[in-house]
Amino acid sequence: MKNAFVVRRVSSGLVTLVVAAALVVLARRLAPQLRNLSYLSGWLLLAVMLFLTAYNARKKLPFLPLGKSRTWLQLHAYVGWLSAVILGIHVGWRWPGGWFEWTLEALYFVVALSGVAGMLWSRFVPRRLTARGGEVLFERIPVIRRALQDKAEDLALKSVAAARSSAIADFYIGYLADFFRSPANYWHHLVETRAPWNRIEAKFDDLARFLDPEQRKVLAQISDLARQKDGLDYQHALQSSLKLWLFVHVPLTYSLLLFTALHVVLVHGFSIGAGFRP
Amino acid sequence: MDTVHFRVERPGRWDNPFEPEFPDADLDRLLATAPFSGMQADAFPKTQPLRQILRNDTRLLRFKKGEIVVRAGDYGSSAFMIVGGQVRVALPPGLPDRVLGRRQPQKRGLFRTIAQLWSNPKVQEYRRPDELKPVQGAAHADDGGDVRVFLQDVPRLLDEHKTAVIGAGEFFGELAALSRMPRTATVFADSDDTELLEIRWQGLRDLLRFDPALKEHIDQVYRKNALQNALRAIPLFQHLSETDLQRVMAETQFGTYGDYEWSGDYKRLAKSGQLAPEREPVVAQEGDYPNGVYIVRSGFARLAKKFGSGQRTLNYLGAGRFFGLREIVHNWRNPASTIASQTSLRVIGYTHTLFIPTAVMESIVLPGAPAALLPVPFTADELDEDDDDPLKEQGGTGSRVGPELLEFLTSNRFFNGTATMVIDLERCTRCDDCVRACASTHENNPRFLRHGPSSGRVQVAQACMHCTDPVCMIGCPTGAIHREAAQGNVVINQSTCIGCSTCSNQCPYEAIRMVEARDGDGAFVTDRELRPILKATKCDLCLEQPGGPACERACPHDALKRMNLTNLGELADWLER
Repeated sequence: MKNAFVVRRVSSGLVTLVVAAALVVLARRLAPQLRNLSYLSGWLLLAVMLFLTAYNARKKLPFLPLGKSRTWLQLHAYVGWLSAVILGIHVGWRWPGGWFEWTLEALYFVVALSGVAGMLWSRFVPRRLTARGGEVLFERIPVIRRALQDKAEDLALKSVAAARSSAIADFYIGYLADFFRSPANYWHHLVETRAPWNRIEAKFDDLARFLDPEQRKVLAQISDLARQKDGLDYQHALQSSLKLWLFVHVPLTYSLLLFTALHVVLVHGFSIGAGFRP
Repeated sequence: MDTVHFRVERPGRWDNPFEPEFPDADLDRLLATAPFSGMQADAFPKTQPLRQILRNDTRLLRFKKGEIVVRAGDYGSSAFMIVGGQVRVALPPGLPDRVLGRRQPQKRGLFRTIAQLWSNPKVQEYRRPDELKPVQGAAHADDGGDVRVFLQDVPRLLDEHKTAVIGAGEFFGELAALSRMPRTATVFADSDDTELLEIRWQGLRDLLRFDPALKEHIDQVYRKNALQNALRAIPLFQHLSETDLQRVMAETQFGTYGDYEWSGDYKRLAKSGQLAPEREPVVAQEGDYPNGVYIVRSGFARLAKKFGSGQRTLNYLGAGRFFGLREIVHNWRNPASTIASQTSLRVIGYTHTLFIPTAVMESIVLPGAPAALLPVPFTADELDEDDDDPLKEQGGTGSRVGPELLEFLTSNRFFNGTATMVIDLERCTRCDDCVRACASTHENNPRFLRHGPSSGRVQVAQACMHCTDPVCMIGCPTGAIHREAAQGNVVINQSTCIGCSTCSNQCPYEAIRMVEARDGDGAFVTDRELRPILKATKCDLCLEQPGGPACERACPHDALKRMNLTNLGELADWLER
């Protein structure tokens, strides 16, 4: 049972490689016999693309007995790799010349690369989220953020009357108000750099030197809230990135299908009289 | 120094009587009735007199002919004594679910499955008209605030099903109440003047403790009805001849530990952070002479070992598991170097055990037992007191999942689940495909929350776990929450759910939600006083859907699994995959 994932990846990868190699060899063998191998490879590629797109439909119909999503995702990934090989056979392993075909192929690669990137991202980001802790439902983040903001504001405001000094309130307005108001340091969290938080922490340390013990307690409470907000931003950045990559992958997939349909019409439209001879 | 700001009365045994007002006249009448008239008042301590036990832990109920008293399969925390009239017990195979107000879910066919594409209501928590009125064959009767279900067309039922009559002075329901097993038979009133004394488990426990005759009577009933089957089902006793088995049965002792309605206390203690193994009742203590084998009959117990100044959990033992057998086998094989109990057995919640003394084990059970069924004696390494890795001794699943996760599962009582939703947080992309799939398969109403306590990479989501010991089923007045017959999953019949929230309040895992029912236009359905009609909802494991739980099937990353946590091996395998 141990390392079942590794075994699965290696075996599925090997099967994909064998099928890809078989397709390449078959294409070379068939090329001299078939006048238009590109028709055959093209229709095969379209069928593969429709199969790959069907995964999204499977997700939308969870109540139908269409198999497990994880099986579909595995097939989606490995058949996706095969589609690249079929595309290579279809276009003769060269970059197309015309602008339409160029766009079509560029779309394919953006879709494919976004898929690969999303897959890798989906593998690594959950580990980071779990290691950091502070698990929170994505939909609850605005509510929690607002609660933290209210608490921090309240502490800052009350400190004015209690200490007869606006040092903490000024500090809050100057450095923290924007930080608490909305998600912050999105890209820093994605690339796992602590620089922005270190800067905020340094400012807290700097201010603490000028406060009396009671004010320091208040500042420590605000610092704790800021730390929670930073953790929340981390969750927000990583969780939203896990969702956002699909907003590239899925719409472009439909664009690719649209261009592909047009490509099929054009190819058959212009091939009349040239391609087919009984 | 702290200052005492206010004083409260210390909570006491008699604070929460079963019946707020138990008339003295009824109490006198009861005390003049057998078996109470024969009980020795002196045998009861002054702090727990018989009269006070009856006043506090019993109530008199009157039933009309055909009214159901208990249903087969339900869980109940009380026993009954017939004071007047008579009741009928439905003999095997029992009455059909339909007449008991239950509805068994049926798998959808292909067309009904596909039809969900267009037939799912747009409104959340929509209830069909047939789900808002009692199911055919059963009806509600309101008698002094109690909700009753009565059988319809009793003469026809009597023609079609075998029943037996029991009359005044007889007890029933005591085994289910004490052992926390489901009721084995349906009992309904056979005359309009049936008067029953309902004794809740606390009272029954005390009566048994202080009245040997009643204890003997209940023990006899237990031995006659349940013990033989229970022992015969355990492989270690299957080689015994009938005579030997009878000898073992005669020496077997029954034990009940902990609090029957543990979920309330558990919730309170968990909220205040006071849950600790050290506070749990001890069944057997580490270091004591192993004077017998404990067999967990129902509930759960914690196998623990002293570690530092606390107790570290090695495993949890559910129904059918042994405690002390390995020590006894070791001592039986090594009479010159006997050992004490290597671990403690502590009660988690409520536990019912069978206890077979060492002498009986050594003289009757062990000699002819197949060697493959006997545990191996302890090794010198395992008995080394300086070894500070107690999990090593287990050598099994306890060590495979690790001490932190084991403690997490035990302290949160997750061992109770047979279909617990476990999420691997290192693979979960928080995409919520599981939640959407659940909503799609339940008319746009998700039946779980993808959130819950976690330990390391393991999160247990707030979804019904379909517990081995379903405390949610205790006290359901109409039997709406019940185990379905095919797989034993806990389901709620929307037609007979009266929205009392008993199940929701009992569930220790916050897995049952009360929702306000709506009609097809989205308006809340109300009663005549304009109070919303509530219904209990929870995960039903997609029993009606082909293919099993949609949440698990919808997870693209193999991060979610419905798992039987009564067996740690499944979890260990999954984590090591």
